Amino acid sequence: MSNSWDAKGAWSLYRPHAEAPWNLRRVVHLHRRAGFAATWSELQRDLKDGPDAAINRLLKGESRREGVPDDFASIADMLATQAVESADAMRLKAWWLYRMLWTPDPLAERLTLVWHNHFATSNAKISDPAIMRRQNEIFRKYGRGPFGELLKAVVHDPALLIWLDAPANRKGRPNENLARELMELFTLGIGHYSETDVKEAARGLTGWRVKNGAFHEWPPDHDDGEKTLLGRKGHWKGDDVVAMLLKHPATARRLAWRVCEWLMGENAVDDSALDALAAGLREHDLNIGWAVETVLRSQAFFAERNLGNRVLGPVEYLIGLARALECFDPPPSSLLLAEWSAQMGQDLFYPPNVGGWPGGRDWLSSQGIIARANYAATLVEGRLTRYPSSPNFLAQARRHGRGRSLDDLLTFYIELLTGAPPEPAWRKRLRASLGGEAGLNANTVRAAVALICASPQVQLA
Amino acid sequence: MFSRRDFLRAGLHSSTLAALAPTIPAFLADSARAAPAQRDGRILIVIQLSGGNDGINTVVPFADEGYAKYRNALRLPKDDLLKISNEFGLHPSMRDAARLLEDGRLAVVHGVGYPNPSRSHFKSMAIWQSANAKLSRGDVPDAESKAVLGWIGQALDGGRKPADGSPGAVYIGTEALPVALRGRRSAASVMNRLEDSILALKADAKSTLAGLGSGQDLAAFVMRSTLDAYSTSDRMAEVIRARDRDARYPATGLAGRLKTIARLIKGGVGTRIFYTSQSTYDTHYVQLSLHADLLGELSGALRAFLDDLSAAKLADRVLVFCFSEFGRRVQENGSQGTDHGTAGPVFLAGPKVQAGLLGEAPKLLDLKDGDLKMTVDFRRVYASVLRDWLNLPSQIALGGDFEPFPLLRR
Repeated sequence: MSNSWDAKGAWSLYRPHAEAPWNLRRVVHLHRRAGFAATWSELQRDLKDGPDAAINRLLKGESRREGVPDDFASIADMLATQAVESADAMRLKAWWLYRMLWTPDPLAERLTLVWHNHFATSNAKISDPAIMRRQNEIFRKYGRGPFGELLKAVVHDPALLIWLDAPANRKGRPNENLARELMELFTLGIGHYSETDVKEAARGLTGWRVKNGAFHEWPPDHDDGEKTLLGRKGHWKGDDVVAMLLKHPATARRLAWRVCEWLMGENAVDDSALDALAAGLREHDLNIGWAVETVLRSQAFFAERNLGNRVLGPVEYLIGLARALECFDPPPSSLLLAEWSAQMGQDLFYPPNVGGWPGGRDWLSSQGIIARANYAATLVEGRLTRYPSSPNFLAQARRHGRGRSLDDLLTFYIELLTGAPPEPAWRKRLRASLGGEAGLNANTVRAAVALICASPQVQLA
Repeated sequence: MFSRRDFLRAGLHSSTLAALAPTIPAFLADSARAAPAQRDGRILIVIQLSGGNDGINTVVPFADEGYAKYRNALRLPKDDLLKISNEFGLHPSMRDAARLLEDGRLAVVHGVGYPNPSRSHFKSMAIWQSANAKLSRGDVPDAESKAVLGWIGQALDGGRKPADGSPGAVYIGTEALPVALRGRRSAASVMNRLEDSILALKADAKSTLAGLGSGQDLAAFVMRSTLDAYSTSDRMAEVIRARDRDARYPATGLAGRLKTIARLIKGGVGTRIFYTSQSTYDTHYVQLSLHADLLGELSGALRAFLDDLSAAKLADRVLVFCFSEFGRRVQENGSQGTDHGTAGPVFLAGPKVQAGLLGEAPKLLDLKDGDLKMTVDFRRVYASVLRDWLNLPSQIALGGDFEPFPLLRR
């Protein structure tokens, strides 16, 4: 973090202090926002080593200590190949969830998810897992570098071109679909361009095709006449349109908003903080990795008002529980995880439309809440594994030196998932619904863990 | 492999529960003292045709010279149309809709739109759903703002909550709750399959939440939403236990969703608003066969739904309203499709509608920027649905007074 961008105010460096100490709550916060939660021993390690070490590990893809198979990369590739060869979208969803569950680099998968939502493309129209996988790999490869490289790769890739009818956009017969969404959703945001700009950009984008599964410029279809785009006249081509949109200040602002939508909770950033982050992005070549690191190391990110004020998305919730609860051996079936994710309202590779998932409070429909609770029950009952198993959460707590009493057991799992001990009233109610101390056996403990996982408190992070 | 359904069954099996849980499951205890099924009250079903329906090829103005002028590859042959007047015919795949029209159960309102139309899916859909035609940039619910409320949600704010604890409105589908159903106080929920709405926790989750959830912050919101969800779960368990008549529906997605709605209505759920959608109307490219399939699915599902409720003697309680965020441009594009346009027809179905063609159709030779000029403001249709059908206040929901457009039989 050098250059002339000077981190002030919200984005100044976090240093633990009396109002914002480095405690378990902030370690859990870091992992649930930037990753997919963490195991007890990973939390304890980061608590001991301090914020710099914890954030460095996340950024370097070294935060996970347990449940990372040695052959992760080769198995993941094999799963992807099988999904593509069988042309089975369910298996493609399972592949991605496998990655989220076992990758040594959870931040990379969170970024991939952010871009899947930003450039929301649905296999409902593409109907080809090979094309969807390729787009997904672009998100993973370019997702933490300069946004320009990401945008260029995405718009030169078949998935988005087919999704937004680019091949049908030809000289004299413009199709505005790609031009409009490029401006409204991928770069500027609504309000920063006119209807004329959409028409002119569509003309500039004529001649983009998909040939033999790859991007292809076909000059005879291109309208090379003069266009006026965002007030500038020229014989703009598709790549000129993209370059002009990248330079526009509204794009940096929208990216700042996108990063904060992910890492910051409700009402945790104001316009001036977004403006500052946007200014920093412009000075750093719209480098997303820079913005992510800036936010993660900031005092705003660890401020009290940014804790527990964001609704976890279905995939974050689903993978987070499996990780925190160490459901590693036997592992959950990623095919079943894919079904549950859809049930909770996030069907991977099938976003509801090009605007992506609305997110936030919208995740918590009745159906979504019931699905989360039922998923939690299914997971802790050992019914997500290939063969039914009986996870022993009492033994697990005791391995970590906890769970000597029912109260301590409840406290342990609530600390694991929220970073803080329960309100006494809540713990009392949990105790009562579990039948008191007499119930401290493996079955009741599973019911207790399911109850905690399903609780309103655990839907927030 | 153990499926979710298996688990559900196991979870509901009382002996399994007794063996594993030290307490009586809340939802079984609660449903025993649930309110009796509701048998009166009018119900609105909204079907959102997402993507922008080509109204011109739906209610075809075959006598308008502009039709032949602007539609070439997409022109539907006059002889194939299902004629409803000397000037208009329904798309040939809408046989079931034509039948509803003959029976006096379908009304078409021509040229419904709003001033200064937006051709953005998101903005135009937000305008239709919020009934606010002047949405500013920041208000477009592109996740940048959650502040936008819906015309139905706000109307429900001014009415009574269902006595049986059901949500005021239910969205049937796999997507997020539509903005149309967002209110300040009224509760709306999302549902896909009835069976997915049953809570399968083995301990009494509801009792751990008692007395919590006051206040306006996010934590309180999550607490309230969770309590609402558990109440809905109790209600659904009852509906599932109730026996269903053998209604005949086409094997389509929309028909399946309408069948779910019919089951809920027949099960006596107190919800008055059901909302669902049919997507992929965004026909920029080679639209003829896709559009024919969509309209066939729509009209088949509509008729099956109304027939099902007629057989159950409940049809008099329902009104179905179908709209799309915009029509398509009059001039077809170069890829045998159509781009985003403006006004279009809306449909109202049910035994109480003023059947036939209502309002004045826009002229295809009198365009503005290549698009149709709207003849009926959509808020006049909403005003009629709210005031005349649902007996709900419309002023706040619509942001002003709009003269109700007469839709119902006197």
